[in-house]
Amino acid sequence: MIEFREVSFVHQNGVKALDGVSLRIESGETVAVVGENGAGKTTLVKQVTGLLKPTSGSVLVDGEDTKSTSTAKLSRKVGVAFQNPDHQLFSESVEEEMAFALRNFGFAPAVVQQRVAWGLELFGLEEYRKSSPLVLSGGEKKRLTLACILAWDPDVVILDEPTVGQDSIQKEKLVGTIGMLRSAGKTVVVVSHDIEFLWPVQPRVVVMKSGRVVGDGPARTLMLERGLLETARVVQPQLVELYQGLKRRPEEPFVDPLEARRWVEEAAGR
Amino acid sequence: MMWLSGGFVFRRGTSAYHKLDPRVKLLISALMFVTTLLVRTIYELAAVLAFFLVVAAIATVLKRVARTMVFTLMFSAFIFVVNVVFTRNVETSVLYAVRFVAIVVSTSLFFITTSPDELEQVMKTFRLPRDVVFAFVTAVRFIPVMMLDTIQIMDAQKSRGLELDKGNIFRRVRNMIPVLIPLVVNSVVRSGELAEAMESRAYGAVPKPTSLVEYHTSARDKAVAVAAVVAFALGAYSFYFILPTQLL
Repeated sequence: MIEFREVSFVHQNGVKALDGVSLRIESGETVAVVGENGAGKTTLVKQVTGLLKPTSGSVLVDGEDTKSTSTAKLSRKVGVAFQNPDHQLFSESVEEEMAFALRNFGFAPAVVQQRVAWGLELFGLEEYRKSSPLVLSGGEKKRLTLACILAWDPDVVILDEPTVGQDSIQKEKLVGTIGMLRSAGKTVVVVSHDIEFLWPVQPRVVVMKSGRVVGDGPARTLMLERGLLETARVVQPQLVELYQGLKRRPEEPFVDPLEARRWVEEAAGR
Repeated sequence: MMWLSGGFVFRRGTSAYHKLDPRVKLLISALMFVTTLLVRTIYELAAVLAFFLVVAAIATVLKRVARTMVFTLMFSAFIFVVNVVFTRNVETSVLYAVRFVAIVVSTSLFFITTSPDELEQVMKTFRLPRDVVFAFVTAVRFIPVMMLDTIQIMDAQKSRGLELDKGNIFRRVRNMIPVLIPLVVNSVVRSGELAEAMESRAYGAVPKPTSLVEYHTSARDKAVAVAAVVAFALGAYSFYFILPTQLL
C-alpha cells in the first residue's frame, strides 16, 4: 500500500511541484495518474522510490517512510520504468542489461538466468539477447526497460509515459501487460497524457493540476467530467465522447469499440 | 556537476551589472583574474577576494558565488595539502589554495551574469571562427541540459538498485559506469541531431550571416570599463610600491 500524507515538494529552484497531495493506493490497484505537462505527475511517482523526498508531509510504502528508507531498498518493492529508455541502457548486451538490477539486488546466478530468459520471451526480445541495447529501436528499448523492471518481480510497477514512441500494436501489448500485472495482484501506477490507451483497462484515475490532485475516481465516471478534464488538459477517450454525443444512450459508457458499434447499430434498428 | 550549476550557469538577472556590455564584464573578470596572480601575500589576496565579493553583491549573485566557493573549497583543500607536502611552506600553500578560490570567483562572475548570446557576441568581437564560437557557445548552453540528463540517469539507475554512494573509492568509480555510458551516448546522439537540425536550417549557407542583436557600448559601459582599469592600476601600484614598504 502506498500512502501520500499531505505531501508538498519544492524544487531547488523554488518551484512548488506538489502541493498538499493526499492519496492512498491499495495493493493490487491499477491507477492512472493524468494531467498536463508540469502538473507534478513524475514528481509524485519519484516520491514513491525515495528519489525525491517530500519537503513536507510523508510518503509511506507498506508502512515504511520514504524519508528514512534508501532508494535501493524501496526499489526492491517498487519498480519504475522511466519515460526515456536512453537514460538507463548502458550494458554490452540486452541480457546483461536485464541482469543488471537482478545482480544489484543479489539474486542467485541461476535465478538471474531464469528471470532474464522469462523477460526476453515475454517482451519478444529473444533475438536481440546478444545485441547491444543501444542499437534497438525506440519501441524495443521501451519494452526492454519494462522487461528489466518486471524481471525482479516488484510488488508495485510504475510506468512513466509508457506509450511515448509506441505504435498502436505496442500500445495494445502494453494494455495486455498491464492486465497481466493486475491479474498477478501487482499494484500498477501509470503516468500518462494518453488516457485513451488505458480506457480498456478501466483504472482508477487520479487527475493532477499544478501539483494538486483535482480529481480521483474510477475511469468510468471520472472520464465523463468534461469540465474537469479540460481544466487539467486531459483529452477524453473517444468512446466516452461518442457516448456523451448520443441522444439515447446506455447507463454506462462503452469500454470496448465493438460494444459501442453493436449498441449504435441496435439503436438505429439495424 | 552541481557546483558548476551554481557557479557557471547563466540565469537571467536585472542588476546593473547584468546589463553591462558583455565585453566590459569580460574586461572586469580578466582584470580580476590577473590581480589574483599579481598579489604576493595572503593579506593582499584576502583584500582582493573581499573586493570580488563586493562586486558579486552589486551583481546580486553573492549567494550563488558563495555556494560555488563552498564547493571550490574541496579542490582548494587538495591544492593546500599537495603544496604543503611538496613545499613544506604553509603560508605559500594557503596563498595558492585561496588564489584558486579567487580565480574561480572571478571567472564565475562573468559566466553567471553573461548569457550564451552575449558570450557569442564577445567571441565574435575577437573575430574567432564562427564554427569555434558556435561549438563553444552551444557547449555552454547545453551544460544545464546535461546536468538534467545526469540527474535523470542517476535516478533511473538508482531505481534499479544501484547504490552510487556506497563502497570504497574504486567501487564508487565503477558504479559511475552505468551513469556515464548513457550520458555520453545521449550527448553524442544529441550532437548529431543538433548538427542535422542546424544544417537543415541553413547553417553555413552564407559566409557571414547577419545578427539578430547588435551590441553598442554606452557611455555608462565605457565609464565602468575605465573605472575598472583605474582600480586595477591603483591596486597593482599599491601592491608593488606602497604595501611592501609599509610592511617593512
